[in-house]
Amino acid sequence: MNLEKAKQTFIDEANELLLAFEDDLLRIESAPDPERPEIINSLFRAAHTIKGSAGLFGFDYIVSFTHVLESVLDKVREGGLTLDAELISLLLNCRDYVGNLIDALESGIEIDPARDADRELLLVRLQVQLKQGIGDPATVAGTPVVATTVVSVASPEPQEATATREADTVASDHWHLSLRFGPDVLRNGMDPLSFIRYLGTLGRIVYLTTLYDGLPPASQMDPESCYLGFEIEFDSAVDKQTIENVFEFVRDDSTVRIIPPHSKLAEYISLIGSLPEDQRRLGEILLQGGALTYFELEEVLRIQRAEQQVDKHAARPLGAILVEENVVPPQAVLAALEKQKQSDERKSNEHRFIKVEAAKLDSLINLVGELVIAGAAANLLATRSHSPELIEATTSIAELVERIRDGALTMRMVHIAETFNRFPRVVRDVSRELGKQIELSIGGGETELDKSMVEKLGDPLMHIVRNAIDHGIEPEAERLKMGKPVEGKLSLTAFHESGSIVIEVSDDGGGINRARVLAKALQKGLVPPDLVLSDREILNLIFEPGFSTAEQVTNLSGRGVGMDVVKRSIEQLRGEIELESEEGLGTLVRIRLPLTLAIIDGFQVVIGRSTFVIPLDLVIECLDLQTDSELLQPRYLNLRGEVLPYVRLRDLFDIEAPPPARENVVVVQYGNARAGLVVDQLLGEFQAVIKPLGQLFRGIKGIGGSTILGTGEVALILDVPQLIQLASAGERAELTRHLPRHLSVARS
Amino acid sequence: MSRVISKSSREMQERNAAQELQDLHQYLTFTLGGEAFAMDILHIKEIIEYGGVTEVPLMPSFVRGVINLRGAVVPVIDLSVRFGRQPTQIAKRTCIVIIEVSFNGEMQDIGVIVDAVNEVLDIPGQDIEPAPAFGSKIRSEFILGMGKVNQRFVIVLDVNQVLSLEEMSVLVETDVSRHLDA
Repeated sequence: MNLEKAKQTFIDEANELLLAFEDDLLRIESAPDPERPEIINSLFRAAHTIKGSAGLFGFDYIVSFTHVLESVLDKVREGGLTLDAELISLLLNCRDYVGNLIDALESGIEIDPARDADRELLLVRLQVQLKQGIGDPATVAGTPVVATTVVSVASPEPQEATATREADTVASDHWHLSLRFGPDVLRNGMDPLSFIRYLGTLGRIVYLTTLYDGLPPASQMDPESCYLGFEIEFDSAVDKQTIENVFEFVRDDSTVRIIPPHSKLAEYISLIGSLPEDQRRLGEILLQGGALTYFELEEVLRIQRAEQQVDKHAARPLGAILVEENVVPPQAVLAALEKQKQSDERKSNEHRFIKVEAAKLDSLINLVGELVIAGAAANLLATRSHSPELIEATTSIAELVERIRDGALTMRMVHIAETFNRFPRVVRDVSRELGKQIELSIGGGETELDKSMVEKLGDPLMHIVRNAIDHGIEPEAERLKMGKPVEGKLSLTAFHESGSIVIEVSDDGGGINRARVLAKALQKGLVPPDLVLSDREILNLIFEPGFSTAEQVTNLSGRGVGMDVVKRSIEQLRGEIELESEEGLGTLVRIRLPLTLAIIDGFQVVIGRSTFVIPLDLVIECLDLQTDSELLQPRYLNLRGEVLPYVRLRDLFDIEAPPPARENVVVVQYGNARAGLVVDQLLGEFQAVIKPLGQLFRGIKGIGGSTILGTGEVALILDVPQLIQLASAGERAELTRHLPRHLSVARS
Repeated sequence: MSRVISKSSREMQERNAAQELQDLHQYLTFTLGGEAFAMDILHIKEIIEYGGVTEVPLMPSFVRGVINLRGAVVPVIDLSVRFGRQPTQIAKRTCIVIIEVSFNGEMQDIGVIVDAVNEVLDIPGQDIEPAPAFGSKIRSEFILGMGKVNQRFVIVLDVNQVLSLEEMSVLVETDVSRHLDA
């Protein structure tokens, strides 16, 4: 097996578990009582699984930390500790720490646990928790009471028969291990022998019997199945937990029973009763290995026989018997049952989802992109051939290709919940830091968007949310004065709207104070003093570089990174961002994103000999350029009474070919404004597979990428917002060239 | 004993062969502006006929444009302009040599325009002279050495310098802003 790959799986799994862990911690604060035990169990399971998997890879520094964490959670589970806000904070810190360990592992950084101050501190705090409360001495010592893996085989074993013999203990001072490996053990890549070898490193294997009673006749035997069982006498000073951990990975499908030295006879009775092999034979094995003396064995078998005569209807699950006999504590049985349930759930999940490497999916999307291009080429040829049959055939192929494209793209879609889920934590931390009470509501988590977009959306959203908490929602006193509830409301919502995804972040805070924004913009020289701005224009000033209205630079926002960065990152995703705000009532930030980054609907235009593509969703309409307006050289048109500024792409791009007699204007929408792009010729719509332009063109302006046309030629995709910005910056530079420097105030 | 010797001598032979292989690079020779150049063949992915180049606006003149290379968009560099000479005139034998360079840990394909490709030659290490201090009329860091082939010299180019993405992307960026300010 490729260890690197397995390690990556471990990292992925651990990250998923940590996410769930955090989610649970945040949920439990407000969860109703009946749900709490389930959440605590899930917390425990997460810690336990991380510990187990880390153990497999020998990441001891993760194991030793999660072990203590697990112990604390175990104590919580048993009711020895209450999960209060303080403990939740501690557990959140622990989660972060484990997250750091995993990150370090992923990036290949070596960690020296001895020099890790965070770790020391957290461990001390966890130990304090362990020593607190009402837990029994066993848990205080840091050894959690963990379930003996109980076999859920019904055993006809009434309590009365053994109850009187509880005091009887066997003489042997060895552990007795009874192993029955499940049939799938080998298929799952586990070698029974390696477990026994590993066991041998923990102590001395005194006696071992291999049981092959389960082996069918050779003709029926499946060489890939495991039919073996072992009875082992084991001499070691380690605790039961350690021995159990040896079999951690086969526990689900194998039977592992561990009887400590000097156990009660009853344990052997139930052992023999629960195993599939012949009792007499088992007895002999136990005798040979020295687990039982001859007399002890006789006693066991006598009781066993007596029991079998007792009414069979009294058969109860072994779990119940074990509890009644005080063999295992009730919570251990619960845990074991829980474990079974969990593995069932896992199995059903496996059926619903397949984990696929992202790279495989990407290469599939690339291929589909090629297919779209090749399909367009075939269409072009078919149209030229004027053969109706051929045109019909290529049209139906094109339809199928389109469906395949849509299907392939949806495969890369993930729920936005992946991004949203980290916000409860952020809101909790930030609001605590600021002493504000905030209720976060999340809606539309099941809205899907492209995975690559989800990754790039996190930071801008984080910034918006922090801003809302820091600047949006007022301090408690102010809220009370305004007659608002003390608890501020923050909501994150996502939904689909006509081919795009809308994400809204809204708060019921103080809203945006226009006067303050304007004053600030004037002070920073972002607007000339005498300019009259519309309400929307004032709000949009917030997105200007170098703008920040917070009078105080706080720890949270105002670190020099402003809304302009947010705006830019959204625009990089070909999205838009806008603000709505009512003073005193709150603010709403709306982000609109395209569904996918890989393929867009484009509109082809020609200038000179070059073809360019304009994203279709930005195109409003197309018109003829009236030549008479050109004589006066204004750079705007009269569009049904509306002023429409326009850009001659020929001039902007320095294209030398002479303009044709008739030029066209494509009216585009960017943000809330419109503009015209003057081109030579309009070619119409087509599906553009976006191809990156590569490192060489990092500094390019006005062009967002490229695509391949049906003819096989490359066409460039225009970045409309950037184009307009370029054009207006160019014009401004021209107009202010004669002005003294200090008067040429920028305005955009 | 004899077996030991024979084994070690065979190892020696193998090592010598490996050494020779290292010294003996294969080079693609081509002409550009009437001059002969050579390039280590290890960098070269393929050679295609000139055509289908889409111009990219606002680019410095050494960037001819981009082509579609089986679905990937690859920039095309006019080597002659990069050497500070006149733009290459497209003729019948004009080719685009696709070269793989690494930048920031990523491999990127770049096409360069040459007047004609000639042949692939073995040039042993001892037949490559150091570059002259001046006289080649090409920036000296572009030249790996002067290869002797049939009593004539060919200029062996240092591909990583000639096609340094770091340098070229800065040139692109400054050229774009110069265009826009003008």
